[in-house]
Amino acid sequence: MATVEITNIEKYYGGYHALNDINVDIADGEFVVLVGPSGCGKSTLLQMIAGLETITGGELRIGGDVVNYLPPKQRDIAMVFQNYALYPHMTVGQNMGFSLRIRRDPADEIKAKVERAAKILNLDQLLDRFPRELSGGQRQRVAMGRAIVREPQVFLFDEPLSNLDAKLRLSMRTEIKELHQRLKTTTIYVTHDQDEAMTMADRIVVMNTGVVSQIGAPLDLYDRPANTFVAGFIGSPAMNFMDGTIQGGKFQAANGSSWALPSDAKVTEGQRCTFGVRPEFVEAGGDVAAKVIVTEPTGSETQIVADMGGEHFTCLFNERIAAQPGDTLKIGADPEKCHVFDIETGLRL
Amino acid sequence: MTDTPTPNSISPPRQGFSLRPANALNREGWVTAALFLPPALLLFTLFVVLPMGEAAYFSLFKWNGFGTPEDYRGLYNYERLISRDIFKTALWNNMLVILVSVFIQLPIACGLAIILADKIPGGNIFRLLFFLPYVLAEIVAGLIWRFVYDGDTGFIAKFTEWFDLPAFYILAEQDYAMYAILAVIVWKYFGFHMMLFIAGLQAIDRDLYRAARVDGASAWQVLRFVTLPLLKSTMKLSIFFAVLGSLQLFDIIMPMTLGGPSDSTQTMVTYLYNHGFIRAKLGFGSAIGTVLFIICVVFAVVYQKGFFRDAE
Amino acid sequence: MQSEPLDPGLRKPWNFVLLYKYLVLGFVTLLIIAPLITTALGGFKSAADLRTNPFGLPTVWHWNQYTDILLGIDYWRYMGNSMLISAISVFVTLLCSTLAAFTFAHVKFFGKEFIVGYLMVGLLFPVATAILPLFVKVRDMGLLNTYWGVILPTSAFSLGMSILLMRNMFEKLPRELLSAALVDGCGYIRFFWHITLPLSRPILATVGIIAFVASWNQYVLPLILLNSEERYPWPLGIMEYQGEFTTDWHLILAFVTLTVIPAIVVFLATQKYIVAGLTAGAVKG
Ligand SMILES: Nc1ncnc2c1ncn2[C@@H]1O[C@H](COP(=O)(O)OP(=O)(O)O)[C@@H](O)[C@H]1O
Ligand SMILES: [Mg+2]
Repeated sequence: MATVEITNIEKYYGGYHALNDINVDIADGEFVVLVGPSGCGKSTLLQMIAGLETITGGELRIGGDVVNYLPPKQRDIAMVFQNYALYPHMTVGQNMGFSLRIRRDPADEIKAKVERAAKILNLDQLLDRFPRELSGGQRQRVAMGRAIVREPQVFLFDEPLSNLDAKLRLSMRTEIKELHQRLKTTTIYVTHDQDEAMTMADRIVVMNTGVVSQIGAPLDLYDRPANTFVAGFIGSPAMNFMDGTIQGGKFQAANGSSWALPSDAKVTEGQRCTFGVRPEFVEAGGDVAAKVIVTEPTGSETQIVADMGGEHFTCLFNERIAAQPGDTLKIGADPEKCHVFDIETGLRL
Repeated sequence: MTDTPTPNSISPPRQGFSLRPANALNREGWVTAALFLPPALLLFTLFVVLPMGEAAYFSLFKWNGFGTPEDYRGLYNYERLISRDIFKTALWNNMLVILVSVFIQLPIACGLAIILADKIPGGNIFRLLFFLPYVLAEIVAGLIWRFVYDGDTGFIAKFTEWFDLPAFYILAEQDYAMYAILAVIVWKYFGFHMMLFIAGLQAIDRDLYRAARVDGASAWQVLRFVTLPLLKSTMKLSIFFAVLGSLQLFDIIMPMTLGGPSDSTQTMVTYLYNHGFIRAKLGFGSAIGTVLFIICVVFAVVYQKGFFRDAE
Repeated sequence: MQSEPLDPGLRKPWNFVLLYKYLVLGFVTLLIIAPLITTALGGFKSAADLRTNPFGLPTVWHWNQYTDILLGIDYWRYMGNSMLISAISVFVTLLCSTLAAFTFAHVKFFGKEFIVGYLMVGLLFPVATAILPLFVKVRDMGLLNTYWGVILPTSAFSLGMSILLMRNMFEKLPRELLSAALVDGCGYIRFFWHITLPLSRPILATVGIIAFVASWNQYVLPLILLNSEERYPWPLGIMEYQGEFTTDWHLILAFVTLTVIPAIVVFLATQKYIVAGLTAGAVKG
């Protein structure tokens, strides 16, 4: 187990600036999720931590030592890949024990470790099978088994669940989380799925086109997004944004609606800004009029997409609402749960 | 816990190159390359690249192969070569092979591929049968066909006998021998080209055919407007192989005619062998080799350029 | 052409298109096998029989024409020489080209593209262009009329294609496999040994068989580099034999048949690899 300190990390692919001044400090035993839209540089950062990509600039420390120039095998990390990357010609047991074999551990020790890991992951019946004879979920578990037999200082996961079907993904989430609680190994987990990030992370690093947008605990990010990117990325369905100005202590949107401001918003009269309302905090019975376009009942909730001065506005109600397309709803929101951002920089006000 | 937010902008790119110690992975890459590449490089340089360079050098001398080349003659060998009729015959014969490959063999191969690309009973057996001559050694194909063409015992003998014609020795006829050889070339190689076309056809999405049929195209129109255009790159490939094959044509000629009668069936390579090697005129022979090399490289480069530009 | 009728129910009771197809296929088949069959049968005939009856079955089956060859020493010596030269050539080719192809596919280093281009030059021209200097070189190295004198140039000229095929194959292995192995503690060399090689058996077989067939059938290189019959591979041997019996076609045909049979048997046994390899090489050209 170890800390991971990422300081001023830069990555260039030729002239393309893939990562720009990344700073993240990860504590011993922490479960950190890197999340962001695809192409933002998550895998690149993870591969640099693993030693699979060169580091163009900055400093990377694992357990306090600078490892910028160490090859992967000297960094004492283990990694789980999106496509599992199991060796097709080796059995499950051989796959899991391969790194130990390379390390020249004694055979009986390898066997014991593989069996212990297999038991943890419920793979003990499958040790003699080949990867092609396994289901997706089983392969995923073998990939994790291969990581844990090493007892590494750091686990790295690169979108490990994105090839699984929705149901399996949920149960594997729980399994990975349980595993972490049991082993308490520092973990860096990459995903593009904000839901996965929210449910699994101790701390989330939100990335956007090569920069870190915000770092924080899941609920902090949800409650106090630092900018419009994080606000829009975290939470589902996504936050509604409206542009407008501050008039008479209220937010006057360009679409004609008017909203009360949160008490901690640092705004001045006449300032132009972006106002954000999460769909799940929209309440029925306010003074904003919205014309229903589509109603999507799921049983427990009702999601309504409405038209507000020509813009779409999503509402999520915790009850059944019998609204027909064309109906007009009166809605509002608790001002303390709304967000105000600078219209130019997108930063929280 | 919230860090100061960073603006989502990308700073102007700067040079990503630095003079820091090489990454460990790169260093190991160098070690691996230094261990793994030399065998191939050595073998290749010694027996492929150097000889080709030496051919260009030798071609400037009059030399019988003993000692070192000393009698420097400049471009004399090339002048002699270009003024020779045999050289023109050889070049023309190579050209003939290419023409026959493109205008006779390619359509045959393509047509048979179209028949055999679909699943029809016995299809696999026909494929193998047609491919079989390609696997036979060229020497053997040449020998078998010399027998077939033999005016006393072969097929031709039988035909002349049936029609009461005088015995006809086609391989001894200056005017016909090359055509007899061309037939053997088609016989031996169409199967290979057919396999290329089958591979090309199988890469075509079957739904395209269905779509074209639904659009109202007849079987011929599907062939004309869907299949053949999509086979264009296979055709180019087939022509590429035909040309390179023609330029190295040797093994089939030797058992059949040795380049005769009266040099009427010489190709560039038989010419090189018969007039350069057998007569120990290494300078002159090297000039032939060099010309052949230049033809090959110019063709390959020009053709590949066109090939890849079209592929885009 | 359409692959199957859109609606199987529409198939006509008499499929004339199919009939024409089989007529064409049958005709081509005849052209292919008639010379081959005649050759094999010719080996059983007497000279006179062959002259009057080239197509039919032999009036008397002269088995001794085959058994004489099989019981003699020449045939086996030629075959043995060919086997030796081809087997070692294939080994050398595979050894050099797997190592090189692996390096090109997986290792990053400066100047790689240049070296790849250099080795691919070999694909542009045939062996024949260089036979004279090759003769001089092999002679000066003292390898004239030795097996190695033929083996080394043979391997050298088959390197380009082998490397091309293998590099394509190696590049198809998922990149994550290399990452996983590096994380597991392998370097490039161990990755090559533990992962790449075991996973590449099919392509090794393909490349090996193609190189073997080419070397088994080759004529030009041994022709200029060997000069004693003791070392002749079978294509030179067969030319020697036919030079001896110029017009005794029945004997030549028997010899030809005996060299063709092993080739056909091997071809049938390995045709999957041969066809796959030739057309795969074709795709990249
Ligand atoms: N080897 C490479 N060469 C050039 N550009 C690359 C390379 N690898 C990744 N990139 C680019 O860097 C960016 C980040 O990629 P990646 O880290 O894979 O994104 P993510 O994992 O967040 O989806 C992408 O725009 C990608 O195109
Ligand atoms: Mg990624």
